[in-house]
Amino acid sequence: MEKTKNKSAFLTKTLEIFKKIGRGIKIFFTKMYSNKKSAIGFSIILLYVIVAIVGPLLFPYDSTVNTANKYLAPSLEHPFGTDWMGLDVFRQVISGTSSVLQVAFFTAFLSIALGTVLGILSGYVGGWVDRVIMTIVNIFLSVPSFPVYLMMAALFTIETPITMALMISIFSWAGLCRAIRVQVISLKESDFIQICRVMNMSTGHIIFKEIMPNLFSYIAVNFVLILRGSILASVGIMLVGLASYNPTDWGVIIQAARMRGLMNVNNVIIMLYPLVAILIFQIAALMLSQGLDETINPRLKVL
Amino acid sequence: MEEKTWNEEAKRPSAFKRAGRAVLRFFKKNEYIFSKIGFSLLTLALTTIFLFFLLRQIPGDIVDIYAQQLQYSRGLPYERAYELAVQLLNYNPNENIFAAFFRYVGGLLRGELGESYLQEGVSANLLIEQRLPWTLFISSVALFISFFLGVAIGGYVAQRRNGIANKIASGYIAVTGAIPDYLMALLMVTLFAYQLKIFPSQNNFDIFTVTPGFNIDFILNVLYHAALPILSSAIIQTGYWIMQMRGSCIGILGSDYIFSARARGLSERTIRKKYMNKNALLPLVASFGVAFGGLFGGSVLLESIFNYPGIGLEITARITSKDYVVVQGLVFFSAAMIIIVNLIVDLIYPLIDPRVKRG
Amino acid sequence: MQNEQTPLMQLKDINMHFKKPGLQLGSKNIHVLKDVNLDIYPGEIVAVIGESGCGKTTLGKIITGLFRPTSGEIWFDGKKVSGLFDKKINSYAQIQFIQQDSYAALNPVRTIYQSLYAPIKTMHRKWKKSQIDERIEELMSLIGLQPSEQFLTKYPHQLSGGQRQRILMARAISLDPKLIVADEPVSMIDVSLRLSLLNLMKELNAKLNMSFVYISHDLSTTRYIASSGRVCVMYLGEIVESGNIGDVIQTPRHPYTRALIQAVPIPDPRFKGEGKLPLKSMGVGSLESRTQGCAFEERCLYSCEKCFGSVKYVQTETASVLCNNLEAVPSHPIYKTD
Repeated sequence: MEKTKNKSAFLTKTLEIFKKIGRGIKIFFTKMYSNKKSAIGFSIILLYVIVAIVGPLLFPYDSTVNTANKYLAPSLEHPFGTDWMGLDVFRQVISGTSSVLQVAFFTAFLSIALGTVLGILSGYVGGWVDRVIMTIVNIFLSVPSFPVYLMMAALFTIETPITMALMISIFSWAGLCRAIRVQVISLKESDFIQICRVMNMSTGHIIFKEIMPNLFSYIAVNFVLILRGSILASVGIMLVGLASYNPTDWGVIIQAARMRGLMNVNNVIIMLYPLVAILIFQIAALMLSQGLDETINPRLKVL
Repeated sequence: MEEKTWNEEAKRPSAFKRAGRAVLRFFKKNEYIFSKIGFSLLTLALTTIFLFFLLRQIPGDIVDIYAQQLQYSRGLPYERAYELAVQLLNYNPNENIFAAFFRYVGGLLRGELGESYLQEGVSANLLIEQRLPWTLFISSVALFISFFLGVAIGGYVAQRRNGIANKIASGYIAVTGAIPDYLMALLMVTLFAYQLKIFPSQNNFDIFTVTPGFNIDFILNVLYHAALPILSSAIIQTGYWIMQMRGSCIGILGSDYIFSARARGLSERTIRKKYMNKNALLPLVASFGVAFGGLFGGSVLLESIFNYPGIGLEITARITSKDYVVVQGLVFFSAAMIIIVNLIVDLIYPLIDPRVKRG
Repeated sequence: MQNEQTPLMQLKDINMHFKKPGLQLGSKNIHVLKDVNLDIYPGEIVAVIGESGCGKTTLGKIITGLFRPTSGEIWFDGKKVSGLFDKKINSYAQIQFIQQDSYAALNPVRTIYQSLYAPIKTMHRKWKKSQIDERIEELMSLIGLQPSEQFLTKYPHQLSGGQRQRILMARAISLDPKLIVADEPVSMIDVSLRLSLLNLMKELNAKLNMSFVYISHDLSTTRYIASSGRVCVMYLGEIVESGNIGDVIQTPRHPYTRALIQAVPIPDPRFKGEGKLPLKSMGVGSLESRTQGCAFEERCLYSCEKCFGSVKYVQTETASVLCNNLEAVPSHPIYKTD
């Protein structure tokens, strides 16, 4: 009797959790599409994600060199033409999507996680913890990030997107941390948080159920901004030649084309494809972040 | 000592005490200043430590590599080269790390930022002297152009929110926001330099045709070479400043005192000149200051694309050639400049913004 | 009314200092409350009135435990208490707080239901959802917001000020407190709605025997709600007069209270006031540099040399008054009532 009761209780609990997740996902999508800007931005990014996952399966990248096919014009078989080694550019771009997006999303997740945790800690606990964390944040905001990226890239060769993500996160979390800390401090003094203490609520409850929901909108916007920034940083590092772990990564293609000489128009055209791919992603991310910002803060609707 | 009699004189505390109290009052009155300075020093110190220990993570026996290089370039026996390598790197693997750190800091305080092992007599200080002016040249010109242009346009469109100018501005912001300066530089180089051949694609001036100095040929040549870097950077940055200025102005224009100024019958032009500009610019000036500090980081990629001999390019080149000591010195210098400029901005800002009180 | 019961809560010689923020090189101390003594009995309504900045909100926060007094003792239910999470009091939630700004007092990203659910769940961890829902339903009917589904699913910004204020009350009583501190609960509500809220509080006081500490700067609402209770008049952090509210309003004894009552214009030509406030000056003393003597001295018309020494409480038939020179102060009723 006990066992069946426990089993059914377990099943109902898991069902409840699934229902909650389902509801959460529905709310997520509704929020994304509620605003025209964010709808477009989100759709494009979603498209990129799908391409990253499904693309290599549909258009596998074949790295056999065939110099006879050098610099072919765009055709049905090679929608973007071929490069100096006869390799199909279109498939290169598709194959590189995954690596680019991996860097972007990992960096965003890491930076957000680190920045949020430390920001809440710093803002809520205050005292010397706050001062220590803020000093560290200040350091990371003062040191010029790019030279240090180069230093680290040279010292520890970057071999996977995750390593790259780790490295870029080191400088991305600081800005978010400071902003979250400011918000937490102001929330801490607000009436509705003070009354939680009068009502004897535990600190955990206050932080997770009362303070964090107020931060979600800010975190969402910053997530998208970090996506943008990390792509810029990673492409930048590749342009200097320090992170060629994936020859189809967009930054590497651009760098390779540059190295081959931009006097040659063919190289320029080859460089343009991944460049435009990057640009479209950036614009989509920008629109998404602006759209989210507008839904959260309707007063910002400028146009 | 005479006995202190109960009169006025005896009540006066000693001069020492008075001086001490005056010092305390001085510190207390300028609390804000001193706390900011102290904080900056702390950040600087921690940055030094961070960079120092970062460099210690170099894999492989770097001393050995250096020693071999020195052996080759200066024709020294290995033991002598090894000693020299240790000295240059400030890195004796057998030495206590704290002692090494203190030696490094000692050197820093004397102004030595690090010496190169590839070329004799080349130190980070020298490189800064040679390269920094060029970096600052293109970066600050770009910054100034984009700032003033952006602020002017931003202020203009903020007052005409429904006009076509605003729509164009928004489009411009969107596009330039998406393109980083180095990608814009690539596009510009490809278009104007390689294909159309209007502007040069490399270097800061033509060594073969002009001689450095204050002659008109040299100056024109420098400007000619600097055109593309400055242009690509400025085009992108202008978008940013337009956005900032417009946002700030819109915030101001929505406030009650502007509303009452309009009710009093002041023209838009007067409102713009007397109220909007000054108020909206305040936070922007702070941003500008911070951006100026950031210039010292050198736009690494921009310089790399144009092969422009600035600090950024230098850092890149030296990293790839493993001249880490110089790199550390250059990066430290950039970080220190950023911290100092931020400090200056923090100290000056209260003087112009009466809302931020000191102490 | 004070009877032979033991007081629910006692504040003894409470002093509160705040430090002025900044580097503490010779910190500036702001002496907000000075030697405050207050007894609150079960089922009683005590009103605390005074002008802005006199320390009444600080007093309220000390009672609820949000601030810890710099010195003095707090006794609750006969046991000595030191701070909010004193183990001796089983869940200090027996003292609750209703804030002035109903909009700021509710979490803007949580529905009303969630805001009511959370404190109940915190207090009764073992209750099932159905039990908590029942209790919420009870509360909604108590405060008069029916049908409850219409309100529970809304966010704070979707309700009106009066409705929100009622929700605050529901939240406060949901934890079955013995004492509720209400900090100017009706000052942000339309005048036409104030009566219904005040009636609600009086009802709760009568039905559930909850004590109220009603903090306000508005005499009329105070008189309405504490119609059979006590009032404490505060000035610059000290209680200058305390007694039965009817008596104090009709026959104030302390010069400050007299000025306060006379400052309220009465729209009836029969009650012609004296035309001028019985004050020496309009300057308010500073909390940073307190003198040893009476804080009201520089404005008081009846000040004398006695007022510069430490001031004692004098017990009259109507009230307990903080004044050294009480004989000089006129003691006739302010307005003749008929």
